[in-house]
Amino acid sequence: MVFIFLSSILVLFLTVPLIKLFLSVGFLNIFKTIQDKEVYESIFLTLKSAFYAVVFVCITGIPLAYLIARHDFWGKSLFEAILDIPVMVPHTAAGIALLIAFSNGYFNFIDTTTGIVSAMMFLSAPFLINGAKEGFKKVDIRYEHVARTLGANKFRVFFSIALPNARNDILNGALMMWSRGLGEFGAVVIVAYHPMVAPVLIYDRFNSFGLKYSAPVAAAMILVSVFIFLAIRFVNNRIK
Amino acid sequence: MLEVKNLFLKKGDFVLHKLSFKIEKNSYFVLLGQTGSGKTMLLESIAGLQNIEGSIFFDGKDITNLPPEKRNFGFVYQSFLLFPNMNVKDNIIYSSRFKKIKDADKLFDDLVDFLHIKHLLKRDTNHLSGGERQRIAIARAIYSRPKLLLLDEPLSAVDPTFRNSIMKSLKDLIKRYDITILHVTHNFREASFLADCVAVMIDGKILQTGGAYEVLNEPNNIEVAKFLGFKNVFPTSILGFNQKNKFFTIDPSRIKFGDKPRDDIYCFPCVIENILGISDHYKIFAKVGNDTFFCKVHENGFEKKVLKEGDKTNIYIDRKDISFI
Repeated sequence: MVFIFLSSILVLFLTVPLIKLFLSVGFLNIFKTIQDKEVYESIFLTLKSAFYAVVFVCITGIPLAYLIARHDFWGKSLFEAILDIPVMVPHTAAGIALLIAFSNGYFNFIDTTTGIVSAMMFLSAPFLINGAKEGFKKVDIRYEHVARTLGANKFRVFFSIALPNARNDILNGALMMWSRGLGEFGAVVIVAYHPMVAPVLIYDRFNSFGLKYSAPVAAAMILVSVFIFLAIRFVNNRIK
Repeated sequence: MLEVKNLFLKKGDFVLHKLSFKIEKNSYFVLLGQTGSGKTMLLESIAGLQNIEGSIFFDGKDITNLPPEKRNFGFVYQSFLLFPNMNVKDNIIYSSRFKKIKDADKLFDDLVDFLHIKHLLKRDTNHLSGGERQRIAIARAIYSRPKLLLLDEPLSAVDPTFRNSIMKSLKDLIKRYDITILHVTHNFREASFLADCVAVMIDGKILQTGGAYEVLNEPNNIEVAKFLGFKNVFPTSILGFNQKNKFFTIDPSRIKFGDKPRDDIYCFPCVIENILGISDHYKIFAKVGNDTFFCKVHENGFEKKVLKEGDKTNIYIDRKDISFI
């Protein structure tokens, strides 16, 4: 009973602001807001940039997660801690660090989609890497041993055994990374104020026109994200 | 033929100590050893899954540095490890993704028939019994047409009521699929039923190798004798020999009791320490000096003797019943 009471406090805290947001804005207003060109372009840019970041980390971070999960090497713990640093640093500080590292004239970074993707990726990649790493750790290495005795080389073992059996954790990690990327503001606003991703647009409208104009954009963004999130989960469950 | 020469492997605190042995083609070789003696590690080394020192030859060819996928050895782990992301049929035919299987359809049908798994083919691997998993793991390994099949405690997760029929099937695999089998287990019964040759492994060392009857009945050192469950292992000094580190053993059911001292056989005065009645026989523990002899006396024989705990009597051991280690 005590547990239910304590849990209820947190559940209310997490859900009430969202419910209040939707109720105060109203679904008709949200629908109208989504039709605003600036809004839908901003939401699409946010979704697209977060997706590109996830794709890039899938290609580079999943092999990295596999190497960490399967091999022990000197300084492994330190290496893993370094990979987690982006989660811990203030997001604006991360944006500054990215600016210093990449705005060097060779790399078109400031106020570009590339800059947005980089900022999202820098701060959210550990979610996917750690998810994939835990997923690979759960796959008994002896499955891979058996597969090798059956004629599969290391590369094909990875694709036919390790990856499919770690799929759920990787997908969870990818969803976490993607949703984290959607909400990224601090680093993105330093690297690219324009073109505006949804969190920057919400901030911009709040600063310029107040709560009344920013809330529908916020509600629209949340609605679209939740819809995509549920759709991916549904498809994954169907595949399972 | 498989030949292992001076195979050495150190992993953490565990060591395989320069192991050497040979396995003849189309033979059933059983490696007996307790849990933790290094049996699985040895199988993984032979399969190419561990980095070892020493050499491994197969059919005269040095395969020491060959990767597992090039060795053509099948491996069945104790827990069978069916791939969870595939159904039963896809598990069995997994190897066909990577190599051409000779007469694949015929082989598949034969395996399905021989191992009685037709009704399981479309099943998910999570919903199978231990025996079903075992048969599928064996089918998967044999479908890849291996020359050597490595079996790691394959019967330990199988219902005891099915073990006999499965053991017979395992034995039949050699002729039916023209393979050699290396089977590791801690179970003497499996070894005695299945093996053409037996090796005994204790603490990462192979202490005895030879024909199954020879190894199981004539251990050549005290560790093997104790591991094989030999009772009454004593130094030969009891018998009046002066050799150090020599031992003998006597079957508990061959020891007799009698009141009168005798000279024609070994006769030792003893005190009866303990008597346990077990269904149709009695276990009697008789103290001779500092050593305790374990004796088995059939119920009928025991009643005539009417021994009681604390009695002073003699044990008789016929010379012909003694095995020297």
